[in-house]
Amino acid sequence: MDSALTLQHFLYVSGALFAIGLAGVLIRRNIIVIFMCLEMMLSAANLSLVAFSRYGAESGLPDYDAQVMLFFIITVAAAEVAVGLAIIVALFRTKETTDVTQIDEMKF
Amino acid sequence: MPVYSLEIIVVCLGLLMLLIDAFANLSDKRTIGYFGVLGLLVVIGLLFSVEWGSKDAATSVFWKFYAFGDTKSLFFKGIALVSTLIVLIMSIDFAPIVMAQTADPEEGAHPQAGLGEFFALPMFACAGLMWMASANHLVSIFVSLETVTIAFYIMVAYLRRNVGSLEAGVKYLILGALSTGFLVYGMTWLYGMTGSMELPEIGKILASGEVNRTGALFAFALILVAMAFKVGAVPFHNWIPDVYQGAPTPITAFLSVASKAAGFIVFLRITALYLSSGALVGKVTVVLTVIAVLTLIVGNFVALPQTNFKRLLAYSSVAHAGFLLMAMASAPQGALKENAMSVGDVVSFYLGAYLLMTMLAFLVLSALRTSITGENVGSFAGLAKRSPFLAIAMLISMTSLAGIPLTAGFFGKLFVFKLAFDQEQWVLLAVGIIGACAGFYYYLKIAASMFLSEAPAGGTTTAIRVSPAAGIAMVFLMIAIIVVGINPTMMMNLLR
Repeated sequence: MDSALTLQHFLYVSGALFAIGLAGVLIRRNIIVIFMCLEMMLSAANLSLVAFSRYGAESGLPDYDAQVMLFFIITVAAAEVAVGLAIIVALFRTKETTDVTQIDEMKF
Repeated sequence: MPVYSLEIIVVCLGLLMLLIDAFANLSDKRTIGYFGVLGLLVVIGLLFSVEWGSKDAATSVFWKFYAFGDTKSLFFKGIALVSTLIVLIMSIDFAPIVMAQTADPEEGAHPQAGLGEFFALPMFACAGLMWMASANHLVSIFVSLETVTIAFYIMVAYLRRNVGSLEAGVKYLILGALSTGFLVYGMTWLYGMTGSMELPEIGKILASGEVNRTGALFAFALILVAMAFKVGAVPFHNWIPDVYQGAPTPITAFLSVASKAAGFIVFLRITALYLSSGALVGKVTVVLTVIAVLTLIVGNFVALPQTNFKRLLAYSSVAHAGFLLMAMASAPQGALKENAMSVGDVVSFYLGAYLLMTMLAFLVLSALRTSITGENVGSFAGLAKRSPFLAIAMLISMTSLAGIPLTAGFFGKLFVFKLAFDQEQWVLLAVGIIGACAGFYYYLKIAASMFLSEAPAGGTTTAIRVSPAAGIAMVFLMIAIIVVGINPTMMMNLLR
């Protein structure tokens, strides 16, 4: 294993991905972009899962539990996108907008 | 019969309903709904006959993700099944509105197109909820939680020609996916810090104290954010009123009971790991206390000026989440006294009582919805003269939600307050009592408007028709609320 690349490096990158995704969700106004940012947050979790699995290796073998979890996360994310995009398309057909600030029918 | 066959039966029922919808060429698709109701009644019967402590299965590697012999999981499976049953009964009555808002006659669609899935989706959500009740592994918690959440995305946005429903669907989608992101990242860190995905193993490692405390608390914070979204705790409760108002009424009922129960099961399991760890318990309790206080204050006080009944019930559900968090924040440390109730018992009891009273309120609301225009509190005026049965059902539900003695809700609150009292959580106790008093006002305001004020002049005064299935469900819930309110040991026995 290359000693220059440690667990910390992977965690920094995954933390950065998570933070960028979260910032995007909070700042951007286009639903599609918000949805992409949400997927980025899941990718951040995937990256750190693989890193934890690889660097937590006992007797040379990584812990495969984490890598199984990763595939579940990818599958669930795909299902979420399928449903999510369908809802966004249905909304676009009635309101003709993807701007979240226009979605304000219900108020206190 | 092993306990996991219940989930398999429910999934098969859902698939069967989809197949009937596709191939059976029914003249009235509401038959599918009645089929689902019958199937769920059978599964509820089976719930009492399963061997839930199957030991040989528990030892096999494959079944490590399933908690066998856990006392609460059967109770939570019961909550999931009963709430799905009542939601299906409501959906059958709600069918005309679904038909009007989904199928587009100009596109040449069948007038009942899309009705079959409306009955099948709650079944899949129910199966997910039942899995979650027994989930014992981070992977199974994640997958079952997402099964429920994705089914809910579809159900909330189901009325696809209604702007309110779609708007609620998008809001729920974005915030639900955000909470999933936090949950997954938190689980990753929990795994990274402890090196295990099995909850009992994680609990042992956390309790031993040989763990990076900062990392473990970071994981807890992330999971706490995700779960606060799911159960509607302040400051992550903003989506609740909008989604409750926009979603189809039966789905609102499902969200407020089943989705909240699911959130609390996971929350309870993960928090229990931290509460058993001596080094972390102090910080975790402080965070839970702060969130509980905020949730109690916001939920109870913002509910006061609400005029839309569904929004009122939404803030009421935030307030009830506050009481449940109050119980979790005052978890007893160390060994329990004999016959004392653990946090798990108190939370389960409260959720059971909450199921009964909230479902009753929504059943009445969906019966009224067909004949009263709008969901404003003012439109309930004079209901007692027009439909005494519905008015009495609503009165029982409201007194129970407020926590008046001789109802199930009273004992739910009493056990929470007792837990807080024993743990000397004085601030929580004071805020909880003030919140409960505010609750008296906004719940009983509805009762007063039904019984004391006159119906607006010029309105129709004919009795409101209640379908037989909904009527039976209402009578059952009313009896259950009163019986549990007189003799709470009945429900406690189900927990043991």
